[in-house]
Amino acid sequence: MKPAVELKNVTKVIKGKKIIDNLSFTINEGEVFGFLGPNGAGKTTTIRMIVGLMGISSGEIIICGNSITKNHDQALRNVGGIVENPEMYKFLTGYQNLMQYARMIKGITKEKIDEVVKLVGLTDRIHDKVKTYSLGMRQRLGLAQSLLHDPKVMILDEPTNGLDPAGIREIRDHLRILSKERGMAVIVSSHLLSEMEMMCDRIAIIQKGKLIDVQQVHDFVADDVNKYFIEIDSTNLNSVPNLTNIAFDLHENGIEVEVEKEKVPDVIKHLVENGVRIYGVKAVSKSLEDRFLEVTGKEEVANA
Amino acid sequence: MLNLITNEWLKIFKRTGTYVMIGLIIIGVIGMGAIQKIYLDKDKQNDNWKTELSAQVQNDEKSLKGMPKIARSEIQQQIDINKYRIDHNIPPQEKKTMYSFINDSSELITFAGLFTIIIAAGIVASEFGWGTIKLLLIRPIKRSKILLSKYATVILFGVLMTAILFVSSALIGLILFGTGNGSNIHLVYANGHVVEQSMLWYLVKKFLLSSIDVLMLATMAFMISAVFRNSSLAIGISIFLLVMGSNVTLLLSVKFDWAKYILFANTNLMQYVDGSPMIKGMTLGFSITMLFIYFIIFHILAFAVFTKRDVAA
Repeated sequence: MKPAVELKNVTKVIKGKKIIDNLSFTINEGEVFGFLGPNGAGKTTTIRMIVGLMGISSGEIIICGNSITKNHDQALRNVGGIVENPEMYKFLTGYQNLMQYARMIKGITKEKIDEVVKLVGLTDRIHDKVKTYSLGMRQRLGLAQSLLHDPKVMILDEPTNGLDPAGIREIRDHLRILSKERGMAVIVSSHLLSEMEMMCDRIAIIQKGKLIDVQQVHDFVADDVNKYFIEIDSTNLNSVPNLTNIAFDLHENGIEVEVEKEKVPDVIKHLVENGVRIYGVKAVSKSLEDRFLEVTGKEEVANA
Repeated sequence: MLNLITNEWLKIFKRTGTYVMIGLIIIGVIGMGAIQKIYLDKDKQNDNWKTELSAQVQNDEKSLKGMPKIARSEIQQQIDINKYRIDHNIPPQEKKTMYSFINDSSELITFAGLFTIIIAAGIVASEFGWGTIKLLLIRPIKRSKILLSKYATVILFGVLMTAILFVSSALIGLILFGTGNGSNIHLVYANGHVVEQSMLWYLVKKFLLSSIDVLMLATMAFMISAVFRNSSLAIGISIFLLVMGSNVTLLLSVKFDWAKYILFANTNLMQYVDGSPMIKGMTLGFSITMLFIYFIIFHILAFAVFTKRDVAA
């Protein structure tokens, strides 16, 4: 896998305060990379530094072999994106907006514009003024402008903000296609954790400007499931504590036990033998949200 | 670069406000024409102009003696020009013509200037206001180039506004007053002598030179817009100075010699074509140098801040 974006010891100091502290990670071609962190952690600042909207106090950001500070034009030639909300010229039509951006880079043909418009599904409304667009349509137009020049790196800040479930699904599918079929590196930031879980291949968590963890989403979410929920008749609930020596949490209509997989049958057998009626057993996987709070929460305590 | 200017131009002309501005200029010219037609137009050329003029010259010469020094030079010029008319048999143009109307309508350049300032003040600041600056600056184009294209667009817009004023006043003047009887010679006072000039050339020169303070103020508004990202501030300061600047400078110039270094002492280059400078010892070269220095300072400020600044809006 070739690296598309590299951050090397990136630090940003604003008015003597370290907003971003020594951040280093690499984003590869063909992957969707999630950027996660609580509000004020420095997600947007980092993204703004990657696209050259903000200067870098020390360190370096390399996009497709070009430093964003030294080779600004060549580096940004490979980048498309939306930073925060897709703000467009409201007094222009969608098409005129796209023309604005098409004129800024050589070699964007009319056919390319039409192709992109079709891809994001705006063909019917593209000649209407942007002020008549819904937020979802603006988001699509934003996506369209970022795709005009076939970038190798795509940067989306909160891409599903304000979209309905169908729209979210659509964006997710677009991102999959872009990364898997065209080999784009996609950088996504979001506070919707479940979203990230479905969209991303890898996730970086930052907090207070520091990188806390970079992990594969798969590992991150699925690592060592060892909690099981056992549904029990509520009348039997009170008698359960006397029956087992395994730690568990009492719930309204069942218990949650923390055991290794091999021991699950033993637990069930033990319960059944003691006359507890069992209606169902399921594995409780940790959601990304749990993990996220776990990881960032720990840090909070450590700092306190 | 041409594409960038096209972009900026479209952004200006896709907004209705721009057409209101153009409409106001044309309405202003029509209004002025109507008033002049009704109240000021004299049909007959006065046959006794020579005796009237010499009476006026005698009158002026008398009053000259009792005048303070600063007021004198203007009257002296008037006397010389009137004498020249009598000597060379050039009657004063009392009948309104297209040319005199264009000359009068050059007063409306302030209007054209006002609108240019509004555009200059908004062209950077409103990108920040709309939030579109974020999409504009993540293109593979240097920030300085984007800013330059915006400035070029402001200049083009100013030129267009002035051209609209000139052409519309020429057309309306032609319709209302005609071209006159042909003796359209303009007399100017230069280096202590009265000189004849072609009227059309004089008018073009007058329009160009009158645009200089507009150019400087638009440049200043542009600078404020780029530095402070606030169009109201840029419009406010620039219009205040457009209206008050030269008057305040005139008052200061009576007392202080350093007033000649103030921008507004130098913006009116017509003072070298049509008369004598505001402050003794000022020359055309001095004014151009001063204008150039101000121009460079405005641009250094605008470009330095705009290219370095973190975009956090």
